[in-house]
Amino acid sequence: MSAPAEQLEGSPVSPAATPAADPAEALAGRLRSKYAARITGELVVPAKPGRFAALPADLDPRLSAALQSRGVQRLYTHQAAAWEAVRAGRHTVVVTPTASGKTLCYNLPVLQAALGEQARALYMFPTKALAQDQVAELMALNEAGTLGVRAFTFDGDTPGDARKAVRTRGDIVVTNPDMLHQGILPHHTKWAQFFESLRYVVIDEMHTYRGVFGSHVANVLRRLQRICRFYGSEPLFILCSATIANPAELAGELIDAEVTAITDSGAPQGAKHLLLWNPPVVNPDLGIRASARSQTTRVAKMAVKRGLKCIVFAQSRLMVEVLTKYMKDTFDNDPRTPARVAAYRGGYLPTERRAMEKKLREGAIDCVISTSALELGVDIGSLDVCLLNGYPGTIAGTWQRLGRAGRRQRTALGVLVASSLPLDQYIIRNPEFFLGASPEQARIDPDQLLILLDHIRCAAFELPFKQGDRFGKEDLGEMLGYLEEHGIVHREGGQWHWMADSYPANSVSLRSVAEGNFVVIDTTGGAQTVIAEVDYSSAPETIYEGAIYMVQSAPYQVEKLDWDGRKAFVTRTRADYYTDAIDYTRLKILDNFEKRGQYPFSEKKGTDPFFPCAVAHGEVHLVKRFAGYKKIRYYTHENIGYGNIELPDQEMHTTAVWWQLHPEALDRAFTSRQESLDGFLGAGYALHIVAAMRMLSEPQDIGRAVGDGNAEWFATVGANGRGQLLNRDGEAVDPVQLQRFTPTLFLYDNYPGGIGISAPLFDNQAAIVAGAQQLVTACDCAHGCPACIGPILASDEVRGYSPKQVALTVLGLLSGHGS
Amino acid sequence: MDLKSRLSDLQSQAGVTPAATAPKPSLASLRERIAQLEQRGRSRSANTVKAPASPRMPPQELAQRLGGELIADGVTRIRERLALTGELGSIALHALRDNPRLPGDAHADNRRRVYIDTETTGLSGGSGTLAFLVGIAVVGDDAIDLTQFLLTRFSAEDALLSAFADCLSADDRLVSYNGKSYDLPLLLTRFRMQGLACSFAQLPHVDLLHPVRRLFGNRWRDCRLLSVEQQLLGFSRVDDLPGSEAPAAWFGYMRGGEAGPLIKVVEHNRQDIVSLAVAHSAVAQAIAQPLAFGVDIHALARWLAASDEAGARELLQSHVEHLCDDGRRLLARLWRRVGNWRQAVALWESLAAGGCTDSLERLAKYHEHISKDLTAAQRCCDMLPANAQQQHRRQRINNKLSTPASRNATA
Repeated sequence: MSAPAEQLEGSPVSPAATPAADPAEALAGRLRSKYAARITGELVVPAKPGRFAALPADLDPRLSAALQSRGVQRLYTHQAAAWEAVRAGRHTVVVTPTASGKTLCYNLPVLQAALGEQARALYMFPTKALAQDQVAELMALNEAGTLGVRAFTFDGDTPGDARKAVRTRGDIVVTNPDMLHQGILPHHTKWAQFFESLRYVVIDEMHTYRGVFGSHVANVLRRLQRICRFYGSEPLFILCSATIANPAELAGELIDAEVTAITDSGAPQGAKHLLLWNPPVVNPDLGIRASARSQTTRVAKMAVKRGLKCIVFAQSRLMVEVLTKYMKDTFDNDPRTPARVAAYRGGYLPTERRAMEKKLREGAIDCVISTSALELGVDIGSLDVCLLNGYPGTIAGTWQRLGRAGRRQRTALGVLVASSLPLDQYIIRNPEFFLGASPEQARIDPDQLLILLDHIRCAAFELPFKQGDRFGKEDLGEMLGYLEEHGIVHREGGQWHWMADSYPANSVSLRSVAEGNFVVIDTTGGAQTVIAEVDYSSAPETIYEGAIYMVQSAPYQVEKLDWDGRKAFVTRTRADYYTDAIDYTRLKILDNFEKRGQYPFSEKKGTDPFFPCAVAHGEVHLVKRFAGYKKIRYYTHENIGYGNIELPDQEMHTTAVWWQLHPEALDRAFTSRQESLDGFLGAGYALHIVAAMRMLSEPQDIGRAVGDGNAEWFATVGANGRGQLLNRDGEAVDPVQLQRFTPTLFLYDNYPGGIGISAPLFDNQAAIVAGAQQLVTACDCAHGCPACIGPILASDEVRGYSPKQVALTVLGLLSGHGS
Repeated sequence: MDLKSRLSDLQSQAGVTPAATAPKPSLASLRERIAQLEQRGRSRSANTVKAPASPRMPPQELAQRLGGELIADGVTRIRERLALTGELGSIALHALRDNPRLPGDAHADNRRRVYIDTETTGLSGGSGTLAFLVGIAVVGDDAIDLTQFLLTRFSAEDALLSAFADCLSADDRLVSYNGKSYDLPLLLTRFRMQGLACSFAQLPHVDLLHPVRRLFGNRWRDCRLLSVEQQLLGFSRVDDLPGSEAPAAWFGYMRGGEAGPLIKVVEHNRQDIVSLAVAHSAVAQAIAQPLAFGVDIHALARWLAASDEAGARELLQSHVEHLCDDGRRLLARLWRRVGNWRQAVALWESLAAGGCTDSLERLAKYHEHISKDLTAAQRCCDMLPANAQQQHRRQRINNKLSTPASRNATA
């Protein structure tokens, strides 16, 4: 699928116009005739012919020859437009669909400059894997024209003895933001020649640089530009992005300059056909639907049997393995033939992933099941069908995944299969919501004080600051003054010099804190083979003792987990079940830094119910407990047993903002504690949306919770769509039974130690509460929806119970004005 | 209305970017905000630096205390001449007149030796670390000339580096301790940062740490220069300020604190360069008399063999009764390479008797191909651990034994 903007041009479906000869279209027709009731929405985007432009007249003849020998006789219009913009010296961002030849947009000017003027380029990709792909592609073009341009990757895997050659001989150096931040910029003198002749900086997959990560990367780029100025170069930036609502704006914020956006793709596109699919109701009494898993498997099997190449996206690594098993059970039951079905996800060893990518490109795999790991531009060749097992959570992410299927000459089919989660059900029941909406905006806040301060430290280490220098939008002199007071920089004359025995980049991580990966070791038959890696944060839910851990759907049982040694020992097993961890999160207030209103409330007199709301900001202790796991049998999905997980609680100290209401105000405003709880949960949802927007962060940078603040109980939305209280042991508690009932609504900084989100949240809390009220009031829905207070159950809609109204009541009280 | 337009309405009501909407704090409060954020955000140890109790000693006075002079605003030069008489520890200083020659050192002759050591503001490297003290020692016929350059102003770094570079000529060779991976790259960085050309990058350079590691790495607990002094030069420093405290000493003085620790750093650096010059001679002496200095003979021979196989062979042969098995294997190999089979075989036999299968295999080869004593070859081969290669060899020897004619025919 391609950019939504183009999809909006799509026409309503007219089955008569469907060419039956087209295999994906034929499958769509078959699905439509057989399962009409399951298809709640449909969109057809007609094929689009390519629009071309001649190779630029000023293109180096060697480069033209190389292109022609690779079969490129002319450019797409957007490639030509990018060439013009870049040659005119404008920073440029290219936003066109997958497989529209984006890479040529930057490779052409870069190679031209390397050939003509020995100018150099720096390529930055978000991951190492993408960087390596890129070098392979560059080398192909390079060899085709015997251009003699040297492109190297420079990342954590580059051996020490090769690094010098990369620095001094590389025309194009391909790296990632973390390496630029910790490995290149602090050692810029070793790269002096490189920086002196640096002409272009290429930033691909720009849409990944948003939220906290993006804010850090914007500062890394400020540092890069500062170093370039030191060496007398002023590189031009060429950026590429998947579809987001605000590419030029994001690019501009990332590089702190005006950027020209090229968004009109000239690449030809085959027709796209999208189906929104709701699994059928299997138990009308209880309103239970068949699982998304079963539906996805069914459609995928139909596709593969018809000879269509298929990609399936699942929301979790576990689901990838389960779906892979089901597909393999059908297509790979003969061990003598090469596998037709493959799983792809983070955690596999890099070599295994590379091999898988190669097989995909060669068309040796008929069906690949992946997490979002394949969402990025890893080259996997052309595919016919893309299945989404569950809504990915964002509109942009959905289109990005759908974009992995697409061919020039024929139709690509996308099927979004809804799960039973409320958000999925909302999307699928209101198809116009999804089909009509633009993708989300990508937001960053490079001037978030702590992030900015971190990078001012790093920058001061790299080069002394001079009076009058700029770095970010805050007052640099004040920031340096602060560092001077702490003895980190030393002011002498008009300059600030680094004066500490440390290497600041090492204590600043651009991404969430890495605490060491776990390796999974297969000990079957006495051997010790590393078969996978698991990152620290997902270890407790995937490799607890007793867990079934799957690699390419082959089940292994975890025998022993060495938590400190970061090792899980597994053996092959023939279990007919998989395991799923059960976890609980609780928050406890440790300290409050600032408060407004009378906090904490007590049941005693002396607090004034006419000022019902208290809001505070402080330090909290967050505990995530993995209590146990369920064993779930394949295919029937019956629960065949439980096991205990013996793991230390996952703890995090962070900062949070929280709101409480006076108990008397609660009693007055609500008929029951249950009702107020629903109100708190709905209000939390709305506040979370607004807070993420206000902070220009990703929703996952902020966590939300409703609890009592003492980690005695916490609230979740239960399977019945209602707020439910659980105690420390995860057992349900009836709110009526509690002596003291002071629900507390938390928005917390979702990073260990906090990255400074909660303080500005506190400072802006009134505006955030007002924004949330506005959001909910202005929403067109009757009783609540994912766009305001969170998804609600269809049954509520029918019965007229309005979680929306109770959420508004809570928000009204939080704003201090009553409802 | 769709989600996006609702959200964008909301945003426009709230203003768009945080830079525009967040109440712009007054400048005075920015520091407080950061301090608050830092404290409440992540309990980073953010202690403010204490104001120094006494004003800092003026650089002029510091220079006098150090016996040096200010050659620029912020650079103190300290010079000293040490006559090559008497001894340092157990090493007679007049020995330094001879140009020490280490194995493989092609530049030993006709070049002035310049010993170099720096004190830096950190050990992590990177462009934020600078050398605040550069010490060099030039050894002449009757004296060591020491020169140290001490930085007391950041802005004088270019003056310091230029003064240092002026001390060097194109005919010098540098001798350092761990300078190849530490001091010299750091100085290169500093020259680049100051936009100065650094011609010394091309000079020949002996990093004495490498020979010391080779010769004594298996014998000593560590190979720090202090260990060289204790083990090789036979003395220990008194009242030495550990090198790891150098950054804090300089920072302290620069912030206006006391000069005492910095004065001790200068003395520490002085001792380092003197020891380095003496250690260079001592290492050369140790190579000449390996037993007396407790040198790992095998390690020395391996090093020597790279440039001088005959010398390595002689060394091993003359210490044959002190050699470890590895040393004897190396000696046998060196004898084999010059075709002295008698010596090689004698060594292999004694090694094989001690259970060395490698030597046994060598003997099997020797008897099969050189002495053509197939019975002996078979005997050796039978004692080797059974594996595919051994089976193959055994088969071949047996074949030769059964058809001696074919052997002669193909020979």
